[in-house]
Amino acid sequence: MSARGFRSVFMVASCAGAALGCYLVSLRVASERAALENVETKIVLAQRDIRLLQTEIGTRGRLAQLERWNVKVLALSAPSADQFLDGGFALAKLVAPQDKVDLDAPVVLAAAPAGGPRPQVEGRQPPQGPDAGQGVSAGEMLHVASLKREIRPVEKAVAAPLPAPEKAADRPVSAAKATPKGQGPKAPAPKLQAAKIQAAKAPAATPRPASAERKSAASDPLAPLEIAAKPKTLASTTRNSGKDSGSKQ
Amino acid sequence: MHQRLMFGMLVYAGVIALIVARILFLAAFGDHAGRKVGITALIPERGDIVDREGQPLARTIDAWTIGMHPNKVIGDKLEIARALERLMPERDAATYHAMLRSGRNFFYLRRRAPPGLVEAVNALGEPGLSLDREPDRLYPQTSLAAHVIGYTDVDGRGTAGMERAFDERLSDPATRGEPLTLSISSRLQQALEHELLDAMTEFSAIGAAGIVMDIHTGEVLAMTSLPQLNPNAAGQGSEEARFNRATLGVYELGSTFKPFTVAMAMDSGIIKSFGQIYNCPDELIAYGHVIHDTHPFGRQCTVAEIMKESSNIGTAQIAAQVGSARQRAFLDKMGFLSPIAVELKERGRTLSPGSNWNQIETMTVGYGHGIAVTPLHLATGYATLFNGGIYRPPTLIKVDRTHPVAKGRRVFSEETSYKMRALLRLVVTHGTGRKADAPGYRVGGKTGSAEKYHNRSLMVTSFAGVFPMDEPRYVIVAMLDEPKATAETYGFRTAGWNVAPVISRTVSRIAPMLGVRPDKRREPNLAEVLPFVHETEH
Repeated sequence: MSARGFRSVFMVASCAGAALGCYLVSLRVASERAALENVETKIVLAQRDIRLLQTEIGTRGRLAQLERWNVKVLALSAPSADQFLDGGFALAKLVAPQDKVDLDAPVVLAAAPAGGPRPQVEGRQPPQGPDAGQGVSAGEMLHVASLKREIRPVEKAVAAPLPAPEKAADRPVSAAKATPKGQGPKAPAPKLQAAKIQAAKAPAATPRPASAERKSAASDPLAPLEIAAKPKTLASTTRNSGKDSGSKQ
Repeated sequence: MHQRLMFGMLVYAGVIALIVARILFLAAFGDHAGRKVGITALIPERGDIVDREGQPLARTIDAWTIGMHPNKVIGDKLEIARALERLMPERDAATYHAMLRSGRNFFYLRRRAPPGLVEAVNALGEPGLSLDREPDRLYPQTSLAAHVIGYTDVDGRGTAGMERAFDERLSDPATRGEPLTLSISSRLQQALEHELLDAMTEFSAIGAAGIVMDIHTGEVLAMTSLPQLNPNAAGQGSEEARFNRATLGVYELGSTFKPFTVAMAMDSGIIKSFGQIYNCPDELIAYGHVIHDTHPFGRQCTVAEIMKESSNIGTAQIAAQVGSARQRAFLDKMGFLSPIAVELKERGRTLSPGSNWNQIETMTVGYGHGIAVTPLHLATGYATLFNGGIYRPPTLIKVDRTHPVAKGRRVFSEETSYKMRALLRLVVTHGTGRKADAPGYRVGGKTGSAEKYHNRSLMVTSFAGVFPMDEPRYVIVAMLDEPKATAETYGFRTAGWNVAPVISRTVSRIAPMLGVRPDKRREPNLAEVLPFVHETEH
């Protein structure tokens, strides 16, 4: 009975509660929307500030002003036609070393081994032994062709024995060069040097380059090591050993 | 009784329901106390104007305005008047005092006031002095392209230039959010203005005009008129400075017209080869007038030589062969007989012989006398001559998807257009325009020096050129109004001495920006003209 009597009250209360709930939801939505609008307004104001600052920077750094600074201080000018290059190749050409023709330099010919018997270079013996005709060493592929000339006597006079490495170690380069023949141990002539000499000197009758001391195929670092024999010529040995002793210091 | 009671109750309930519904509606969708009328989009009061690279040329900013409400003043009026005189000395204290006692509602004291002044006025603490923000037009690049952009009046309405021509578009809320993009390039404009101003100062000219234009699209990439004008304070500029020489001023542009005459003759089949011979005496008497040459031949000369040495006598004979009707038709098709078809409202009316276009007028018009056009006409004419022979109206709006290239009409044949390249390049390599050459950029063009009609001792010198001549892309026109001779020019004041160097310097500066690659090995086919030049040494 009492429950039925209060039924209408409950109905009103529940309706009021629902209405209040709805109102709270809408209130919440409205406040969120207001917050969003605040953010949007802030964004727009920030954009306006950015625009103002950009305008100020643009005005202070206007082209006429830059031009004035350029005329008074910087003095920059447009590139001339010669400063434009066709591409990377033209650019690289600018730093390429100048190609100087040295008339005294020996003429060096490079030849590749053919399958059959190789053309015989004048004055050179065909390769003998078990490797003949198989693997051709790099040294043999290089032929030096130049005018046959007598070695200058000065070069012969300069000939000096190999320096003693242990002594050269605590001496200046010049001293190492001046070491008299026979004082130092004989062996330390490096194999590499010997090989180079060998390549250049091979048979006694082989025509030699005009100046044996010049850098040529004979002193090529690619020269084979395995055919290194006993060094016999002193002219170039001395020079090379001097270099070596210098490098040791 | 019961029914009436019931009715009253229903009415009462209905009213309450209505109020509740309204409250609920307002709660859900209406404004609330904390709601601000916020800005949700940044739409300026007036649209921006930007250059083709997007650099702002005109912007609207909020500026401070200081005003006075005399009837709201509460402090000592004399004290306030003295303080105002100290802060804004353009009026004296007595004037301020009189304004304060006038009883009027409002006075403007300063528009576009600097922030320091606003702060000082605010510090006076007088409620009768108001500080407001109001939109103001600012031109960040000051005088750069001032005659193209134009300016607005104090109320923000465009009164000159593109501001005037596009006033509606710039102020319409629907369109002002998008900036108006001009075809002008600030960097090119600056280079042109600087070089031209240098020459104008050096040769004490009263004015100058310059134009750089894309010959294929008709876009004006740079256009200037000197003396300079600061659109931020346009009212303070002189009448001379406000005058747009490039589109409003019409000038007899002299020998720069000669290529048109030769092209007309070639198109009409009159000139078949640049080796065609004309008789070029020291002076030519025609219809009671005597025509002179600056460098008289005194012998027979070829068309190539006529152009190279800019011979009036030779060109007049070619023009006479073309005939007045044909000449008029050609000039009309090139738009030379009507105001220039550009967006600006400042367009000069061209002057021509009109109904009095007889044989002698045809001859003088042939070498650019007796017809006055604007420098922009001349630039358009050269664009027509070298873009393959098609006239396109010039435009100051950037050509893009929304603004396509204007429809053209054929004036010259493609072959004529092609052949003219070598002839104009010859003028620069061997003729009167040698100083216009910019090494590597293959400039071709023609000098023009004309005496002013009202005073024959004054001159207008001009140069119209195209580069790179082996594949024409841009036309450049420069003009000096009343240049004087200097010691450096050995007393000469013709175009070859004063305007041509401007072209050389400007092209050297702007061509790399335009992507024109300098190449000293490329040239138009000069073999078409060189065999017909007898004297290679000038």
